Amino acid sequence: MIEATLFAIVVYDIAALFFQFLNSFGFIILATVGLAIIFGMMGVINLAHGEFILIGVYGTALAYHAGIPLPAAMAVGVVVTTVFGVVIERTIVRHFYDRLLDSMVATWGLALVISQLLLIVFGSSLDSIGTPLGSVSYGPFSSSIYRSVLLPAIAILVLAGLYVLFTRTEFGIKARATIEDPETARAMGIDTDRMYVATFAIGSALAGLTGALYAPALGSITPNRGGTFLVEAFVAVVVGGPSVIIGTLSASGVLSLFNAGGSFFFGTFTGQMLLLLVAIVALRVLPDGITGYVDDWRQRRREG
Amino acid sequence: MSEYSFTRRSVLASGATALGLSVAGCSGGGGGSGPTVGVLEDRSGNFQLNGTSKWQATRLALEEINENGGLLDEEIEIVDPDPQSDNSRYQELTERLILQDQVDALWAGYSSATREAIRPIINENEQLYFYTTQYEGGVCDNTIFPVGATARQQLGIVTPYLADEFGDDIYIIAADYNFGQLSGDWVNVLAQENDYNIVGEEYIPLDETDFSSVINRIQNEDPDFIMSMLVGANHENFYDQRATNDITDIPIGTSTTLAQGHEHIRYDPPALANVYAGVSYMEELGDLRDGEDFVADFYDRWPDANYLNQEAQNNYFSVYLWAEAVEEAGTFDQQEVISVLEEGRDISAPSGDLTLDGATHHMEHEMRVGICDGNHEISFDGQERIGPSFLREEVEGGDGCDLREQDSTTQYVPSDVYDV
Amino acid sequence: MSDAADTVSRIRGRLEGPNTYGNSRAFWVGFAVLVTALAAYPQMTDPYTVIQTARYFAVAFLALSLCFIWGYAGVLSFGQVAFFGVAAYTFGAIGINLSSATGVTVAIVGAVAVGTLAAALLGYFMFYGGVRDTYVTIMTLVVALVLNTFMAQTAGSEWAIGEAQLGGFNGMTGIPNLTLGIGETGIVFERAGLYYALLVSLVVAYLGLRVLLNSSFGMTMVAIREDEARTETFGYDVPFVKLVVFTIGGAIAAVGGVFYASWGNYVDPSVFGIAFAALPVVWVSVGGRESLLGAIGATLAIEQMRTALSSGIGPIGSEWALVIVGGLLLSVILFMPAGVVPTLDSLVDSVQDRRSDQGQSTQPTEEAVE
Repeated sequence: MIEATLFAIVVYDIAALFFQFLNSFGFIILATVGLAIIFGMMGVINLAHGEFILIGVYGTALAYHAGIPLPAAMAVGVVVTTVFGVVIERTIVRHFYDRLLDSMVATWGLALVISQLLLIVFGSSLDSIGTPLGSVSYGPFSSSIYRSVLLPAIAILVLAGLYVLFTRTEFGIKARATIEDPETARAMGIDTDRMYVATFAIGSALAGLTGALYAPALGSITPNRGGTFLVEAFVAVVVGGPSVIIGTLSASGVLSLFNAGGSFFFGTFTGQMLLLLVAIVALRVLPDGITGYVDDWRQRRREG
Repeated sequence: MSEYSFTRRSVLASGATALGLSVAGCSGGGGGSGPTVGVLEDRSGNFQLNGTSKWQATRLALEEINENGGLLDEEIEIVDPDPQSDNSRYQELTERLILQDQVDALWAGYSSATREAIRPIINENEQLYFYTTQYEGGVCDNTIFPVGATARQQLGIVTPYLADEFGDDIYIIAADYNFGQLSGDWVNVLAQENDYNIVGEEYIPLDETDFSSVINRIQNEDPDFIMSMLVGANHENFYDQRATNDITDIPIGTSTTLAQGHEHIRYDPPALANVYAGVSYMEELGDLRDGEDFVADFYDRWPDANYLNQEAQNNYFSVYLWAEAVEEAGTFDQQEVISVLEEGRDISAPSGDLTLDGATHHMEHEMRVGICDGNHEISFDGQERIGPSFLREEVEGGDGCDLREQDSTTQYVPSDVYDV
Repeated sequence: MSDAADTVSRIRGRLEGPNTYGNSRAFWVGFAVLVTALAAYPQMTDPYTVIQTARYFAVAFLALSLCFIWGYAGVLSFGQVAFFGVAAYTFGAIGINLSSATGVTVAIVGAVAVGTLAAALLGYFMFYGGVRDTYVTIMTLVVALVLNTFMAQTAGSEWAIGEAQLGGFNGMTGIPNLTLGIGETGIVFERAGLYYALLVSLVVAYLGLRVLLNSSFGMTMVAIREDEARTETFGYDVPFVKLVVFTIGGAIAAVGGVFYASWGNYVDPSVFGIAFAALPVVWVSVGGRESLLGAIGATLAIEQMRTALSSGIGPIGSEWALVIVGGLLLSVILFMPAGVVPTLDSLVDSVQDRRSDQGQSTQPTEEAVE
């Protein structure tokens, strides 16, 4: 009898930990994926990534408060961010394709402008949107279905979709050719300019999607919430390494495992510290990120 | 509504003479070198949500005074750059306001980190400074008047109220910095005094937004109520996640929520249901003075304002507190105004008839419990007048902090007196 | 007479070279005038401006340190503020505990040593571990963020070094003024004094870095920046050179941190935050990665502007400050990719080229290095 109770308690604890892991996993993937596309495929470090996500949040929240149902409001958020991304690409980002480090300064300036303009135009905060779908209860615990089940599932679907897009479609192959070797791609008749716009648009759309999905899970909607996403995204991008999809997936897995584990066993401070410390150690041990190491290992095995 | 040409005035002033601006007030004010008041409140950056309302209320009070003929027959000049929630910018602007604009009084800062950042500059220049945010308490400083309610005042009203109502098992969650930790200490002090039982206590980094592990731990301990001293926009997510996880039946006592960030307006019900805030003022309280309507005046002046928060009311009444002291002193000279304030003063504020305790520079506030129901409607209960007893009676082995008698620039903490 | 001229040209020989801008006599005359003007400045302006400018000088060390490692060795650190902040906290911790004049003097040395050591450790960890390029950038940023997260939670009384409370998010207070001396007697650098101490240190640091950059070590640095693999095949120990560069950069940042802590008698974890960490990158990009003087100038100009804008200008309210700052950054990077100073320099060069080709004292301009 006592053993059975103990067993149940352990199961509940493990379930709680697992849901916390999923929550963190979904968050890191979604925060990272837009940045990873833009950085991995185009070599632009977008320090305004958090603000891009925020535009998705604002688009969604404003549409929702105007009376549009939440799913449609989310679509509005994605569209708004995509359009914004294309405009920014045409006016600013296209000047920085071969200037990785300059792109950081430029986009940092852009981030300041965006968040302050949001403040000037929409005021100090928007009314927040409650998280839909409620929670699942088990033993003494409960976990949000939206944050711990739906969002991680969508995150995985997004990655799968990107995998198909970039490996199985003509567009994907052209895009990758453009990124690998623009000269040759042009010679083969690919409109490289269009490929850049399209790739940046996809990156922006994904940022917008993240914003749309987190609009009802973010709590307060204020012009400085962009920072919420930036650090995790950056850390995951570099830990993941050059391969966008596998890199994002594996880095998010490792980081959220430590983040959730740390928070579960020792408290949120430890969770945060572990995430950052693991990133430092990972970079030291795997200087080209996880996927860089895997590529390296494959190559050596082929040679050996 | 009157407009001010203070940029032109300050150009004239600095052109006339760089020295002795504050002295000029005594001589009846010729040549455009009238009284100047500095207002540093955040209108952008992290704390803009709370800071904007403070700035608006300060301007409102000063403008009202000017419309009624000014102070000592002079128009008050307002210098109010935006410190952008950045502490090093606060340091720069404080230097500027003191040395260049020679302000006769200063209102500045939302967070206690900001107060501590500018305190060395305040001390060095012996600047009269009103800090108006509700805070952890304990500042005993010659020229500083922390007129907001302290943790002891706020938690002292709300914690026993909840324990009487719901039981003794308390789970503490607080922001992981000085304010949060000291507030947590105060709940522990109250628990010792009243035999409450602390079943869990955790401190959460200011940039944390994910509360799933916190909520699971709370569910595991199943407390009678939670004491929450969470701070800032990131932490608000706790209330949303609390609603998602259906634990709104566990009541929450707080010193930080509702009265500042007006979460009950910005969030859909039932995120803030069953939240009990120890407050000195909230917009919903209206104006308790006869024939006055602070809330209406505020929205007339600032039609786009989001909310009139607790701290804004502190800014408002403390401007009048200062103005009355200036009238009585007959001068803007800061030391003389401080001497008048240290005699102790009654002031009629929108939140009730309050008293400034001259010895400690703190207020006797009318404290009440602001209760948020399932529809996010606010009601008030348990009103009680609470003075700054910690500074007045407990520190220094019971001698207290008496700034009329002693020079001091310290901050006392609960562990100076209690075993926490 | 000729001895003196010899000495001057020998000194100039050490200071000048293809790696630095400003190798003409006109430049040095201008430099002397500038330093003299800055030395006279406190006598001509109000105390507030002096204090303010001293603060900008203190953070200019950050720009100088980043310009050195990024512009000349190609190592972009997003975390120079880490060494700046570590030194600031160390100075506070030692200074508060040993409050005598000797104590504060010891604190200065100790703080710079600890900041430098921190840079050396991180540099060793990275460069001998094969961490490169963007990964260095992100790793240094993460190190700063770790310090930020950690320091922000050190609020309790248990977080103290002797008498000195770390203070958590509220920061460390009561940090002493900069003092040099023995026992209880010493010179306290405050207000104008601090200004002059900073001015002298900044000029010394600038000239010292110029000498270093134009030495053979500087040439190696530039070689690594241009082509790391090739430099390695020539037999240079690239990780070691990078480590030395990074450590020197850390030391310069640490000096700035000491000044910064004594300026406000205060330091808080926001020195490790992402907003502050981004500033040196901005200053250096705007001033010009390969111009030490440009980086310092950009620091002074941008900081001046940021503060001034917070009061609004004319009819434009203070709420537009951040929009204007962000917009200006964008435009500078967009229209002057190399930064302001290199752009101006090449402008001056092309004008000079067109006007005459006497080519008397100027070295052959090396476009490739620029």
